[in-house]
Amino acid sequence: MLDLVPFITAHQGIGTAELASEFGISEEELLNDLNSLWMCGDNRFDLIDLQFDSGYVTIRNAETLNLIRSLTQQEIISILLGLDLIEKELPPDRSDLRNEIDSLRNSLGRGISRILDASPVHSGEIISIIKEGLSAHKKIRIIYFSPAGDEISDRVITPLALNSTDSREFLIAFCDQAQAQRTFRVDRIKSAQLLDLMSAPIPAETHSGQLAFSAEIHIGRQMRKSRESLGDYVNGTGAEVTVSGFNPQWLSRTVISAAGAMEVRASLELREQIAEEAAKTLNQYR
Amino acid sequence: MYCHVAVVLQKVPTVSRKSERLVNLTIALLATKRWLTKSQIFAAVDGYEGEADATERMFERDKDDLRNLGISIEVGTFDPLFEDEVGYRIRPENYQTEITQLTPRQFSLISLASQAWHGAALNSTALSALIKLKSLGIDSDFDSIPSITPSVPHSDANFLPIINAIAQRQVISFSYFDSELEPQSRAIEPYGAGTKSGYWYVAGRDLDRKELRLFRLDRCDSEVKQQGKAGAYEIPEDFIMSELLKSPERAQIATIKVRRDKAHSLRARATSIVDDDDWSTIEIAFLRESELINDVLWHGADAVILEPQSAREAAIAALKEIVAAHG
Repeated sequence: MLDLVPFITAHQGIGTAELASEFGISEEELLNDLNSLWMCGDNRFDLIDLQFDSGYVTIRNAETLNLIRSLTQQEIISILLGLDLIEKELPPDRSDLRNEIDSLRNSLGRGISRILDASPVHSGEIISIIKEGLSAHKKIRIIYFSPAGDEISDRVITPLALNSTDSREFLIAFCDQAQAQRTFRVDRIKSAQLLDLMSAPIPAETHSGQLAFSAEIHIGRQMRKSRESLGDYVNGTGAEVTVSGFNPQWLSRTVISAAGAMEVRASLELREQIAEEAAKTLNQYR
Repeated sequence: MYCHVAVVLQKVPTVSRKSERLVNLTIALLATKRWLTKSQIFAAVDGYEGEADATERMFERDKDDLRNLGISIEVGTFDPLFEDEVGYRIRPENYQTEITQLTPRQFSLISLASQAWHGAALNSTALSALIKLKSLGIDSDFDSIPSITPSVPHSDANFLPIINAIAQRQVISFSYFDSELEPQSRAIEPYGAGTKSGYWYVAGRDLDRKELRLFRLDRCDSEVKQQGKAGAYEIPEDFIMSELLKSPERAQIATIKVRRDKAHSLRARATSIVDDDDWSTIEIAFLRESELINDVLWHGADAVILEPQSAREAAIAALKEIVAAHG
């Protein structure tokens, strides 16, 4: 409520709907706040003169409160971390913006700035292109890296939704090549380009949500590292876990990469696949 | 049902009366040039009626509420000899932000920075910072900024207590998984926070181990609890979070044989590539031998360690172990 006073002063005549959305509250909540504020003031002198019945808000006689409050430590932290992410994505030739960010760090506080450090996990430029594709209903072309298949592919896709689960962002899209819906990890999209192609109507989702394998795994050592490499696909606690996923090749690579820390106990088919791949690899060392 | 309505009806006036009282208290304490005593405050500010005890408690709570909003209330005495008569005031220079001027570009950068929290833990915090700065009435200049959508990594419920503890210089304790997933209890003075490769980290002085340590938030096995008083320690002048999160120099070089058009992630790291017919020989820098082996084994029969010899032997031993275990 205290922040309403300087904001309205700087934006005299702002509409109540716009003001509510600026403050991230409902219009009803805003009207409640304005009604309360209207009752406030130094009763030895005058009350705050607030007018808003026309749907537009003006304020007078609020000199005492017409001060922009200092930013709290949390607020400064939130802005500095955001600036960090922007700075690391600026193209090399934008030293002008780097200087602006540097002088902002000075105004917001060097002391807080040095105890924070954020780095982007995926390109903010690619996110912008995906969002543009989503809102303009346009196709985009991506170069995508899949570690499980060890493939770099060039695809034309229609973005459908951007989801963030746990620590990663995922793009759900219709892939023209596969003629099916696919999920892409945004940090594995190497580049993206907005195409001047309107997205075609998407055929109804063919049911591909079936899990392709389920394995029982014994973790013999390096518990934390092993579990983390199994990611969201792991179930159970302790050394005996179940892993279910879509791509058996991914499982085989993960187990061999663990260098003996993990053993697949079931199924027999997966055990054979891993033994065969490991033997083939061993052959290369002879 | 009736009961519920009655509660709601009662609640609305209480809430707004309280926020009115807080605004009025702020105005009174801001407007005064001298210290205001409690009795002066109770007389001047609407809402402090009723029994003396209840009024006192209300005033104490209100002071805490204002302090939690980041408003610093000064306490002083009129006469150094009679300390029982304390007075209160808010200095406008403490209340008001020191930021009075921003360029349109700086304002746009801050606005973009606040968007990084969209749907994340500090979303409303970043929004309220932005509202305050919008009150400066500065135009924006988004056209001169490249089209970037920054976003912070996902964080769990432990993020806010950690940020609050850092802001308040308060000790935190939690249970943390070690490398064998054994939970260990930790107590640290948190110094800073940051992200790397999509994970949040907190750095601080471990009170038991008596040294600076780094913790990954998703490896905490319990709630992070703030404990003890605020302002319990100082963050050392030479502490810099980015130094701690910086990837260490990969000092050693490995020689790897990789199949043509395969092992893309190793090729991307290569410092040199010599192509042959079906294979290429590449050099990559690495930090730990165990991680090098993990990275190369991922590619199965498409990648072979040639050098260093110790890594080659360890890879062979690991592969033999895997074949034996799965055969």
